[in-house]
Amino acid sequence: MSRFGRFAVHALLAVAAALLSPAALAHDSRPAYLQLTETTPGRYDVVWRTPLMSGMRLPVVVRFPEGTRNVSGPAERDFADSIVERRVVQVDGGLEGKRVEFVGLEATITDVLVRVQLRTGETSTTLVRSSKPWVEVTASPGRFSVFTAYLQHGIEHILLGVDHLLFVLGLMLIVRTPWMLLKAITAFTVAHSITLAVATLGYGHVPEAPMNAAIALSILFLGPEIVRAWRGETSFTIRNPWVVAFAFGLLHGFGFASGLTALGLPQGDIPLALFAFNVGVEIGQLAFVALILLMVRAFRILEMRGPRAVQLAPAYVVGVLGAFWTIQRVTMMIQGG
Amino acid sequence: MRRGERRALACASTLVAALTPQLAHAHLVSTGLGPVYDGILHFALTPEFVLPVLAIAMLTGLRGRAHVRLALVALPLAWLAAGIVADATAIAVPDALAWLPLLVAGGLVTLDLRLSPRATTVIATLLGIALGSSNGAALAQAGAGVRGVLGSTAAVFVIVTLGAATVTAWQTGWLRIAWRAAGSWIAAGGLLLLGWTLR
Repeated sequence: MSRFGRFAVHALLAVAAALLSPAALAHDSRPAYLQLTETTPGRYDVVWRTPLMSGMRLPVVVRFPEGTRNVSGPAERDFADSIVERRVVQVDGGLEGKRVEFVGLEATITDVLVRVQLRTGETSTTLVRSSKPWVEVTASPGRFSVFTAYLQHGIEHILLGVDHLLFVLGLMLIVRTPWMLLKAITAFTVAHSITLAVATLGYGHVPEAPMNAAIALSILFLGPEIVRAWRGETSFTIRNPWVVAFAFGLLHGFGFASGLTALGLPQGDIPLALFAFNVGVEIGQLAFVALILLMVRAFRILEMRGPRAVQLAPAYVVGVLGAFWTIQRVTMMIQGG
Repeated sequence: MRRGERRALACASTLVAALTPQLAHAHLVSTGLGPVYDGILHFALTPEFVLPVLAIAMLTGLRGRAHVRLALVALPLAWLAAGIVADATAIAVPDALAWLPLLVAGGLVTLDLRLSPRATTVIATLLGIALGSSNGAALAQAGAGVRGVLGSTAAVFVIVTLGAATVTAWQTGWLRIAWRAAGSWIAAGGLLLLGWTLR
């Protein structure tokens, strides 16, 4: 990438980092999860899982339609990252065609994943958003709804995952040619797809706290490399960015997996959900890369230049944010958070 | 400053003076991704904001790179500052005057006046103040706040950059006329909105 191209990306990074760093401090897009399993006509096992945000319970309450009464429960169980409530309810005439509401969801930025399994074996999965905090229970076949729900969640996860995007942007600052960029992005994609699948299918597991610290470290690692590349110096990373992209991509894949498994999806839907989630992540990532490339092209046409301090600032922003997150997450890890 | 420039600036100044001290009405669409993305989407789905900003991109793109570079600093900064002020005070452009930025910005593109870089910067700044305050007040009412304003500012920056670069790269021959025709459509949109307001 030419000097001007680097400047253009640097300037963009400075804006993006300044804009998104507050959001990045709370990189958490875990949705709540409601599972309704019909056991006998009109009777449902209910699992209601709400994530803990900074130790606080999500202020959302499930409201069933009129004519619903508790048969047993509710019984709550506390986990490190969530609270799970179980109960059995009886709904007069069943839930089909009726609305389940999530009171308080409209005041949050959290989604709720709703999975309904009827006695016939039919399932439906719906991602409920704060802008429309209810779901109408239907007996649709479910495969398509599972796909679209997890596709959306994959896109959301990458768009809210500022640390992942910052890593991709850091890679783009280092690469010098379109071919190197293609190799680096492909390597990152392949690597995170591997570990996303491995972790989601239960073949491997990395504890969340060290993983998050290592992801932050991957961003910190890129800061000095960007400065080195801008100065015209070279290093193993600058010569072979795809290797670094692959190595750290493995880590980021575990991060994506934590976002997927936090949904608590039953085993039967995991392969389809995994595929859809990964496609969503790639769509979001490619859209981000495309936007950056378009902006670089536009800056080049407009012949935009800036002083040296402005050109170098983004590299330091990457480094500083990486260092901040590393310290923050290592501290949380030591404290057992 | 030439006579044409003075007229253009007078139009833009009148626009800002007329549009500022009113309560705004929110119609925010939630993305579910937080206030930054809500701010981006609110801007992208509001033609009264997008079209004048596109017109500024066309206007500066037709005039040259120096105009674009200045506008790229002035417009987003004015948008951001006005948005933050409006977020705190909740006053901005009334819906009844939403046609005016479309008419002014689109009209300036259509006329293709030979403005100086300073003149286009002032126009971009005034439009940034007028539209940014309206946007900021709407986001404040919808609860998106300053982070929503930051999101919309980023969207403005991206739209102006991409739009102006496109116009700069493609303006030989009939393409320049095509951009002016596009500006006339934006101005016509403003007139239609005016007619709708007066009906």
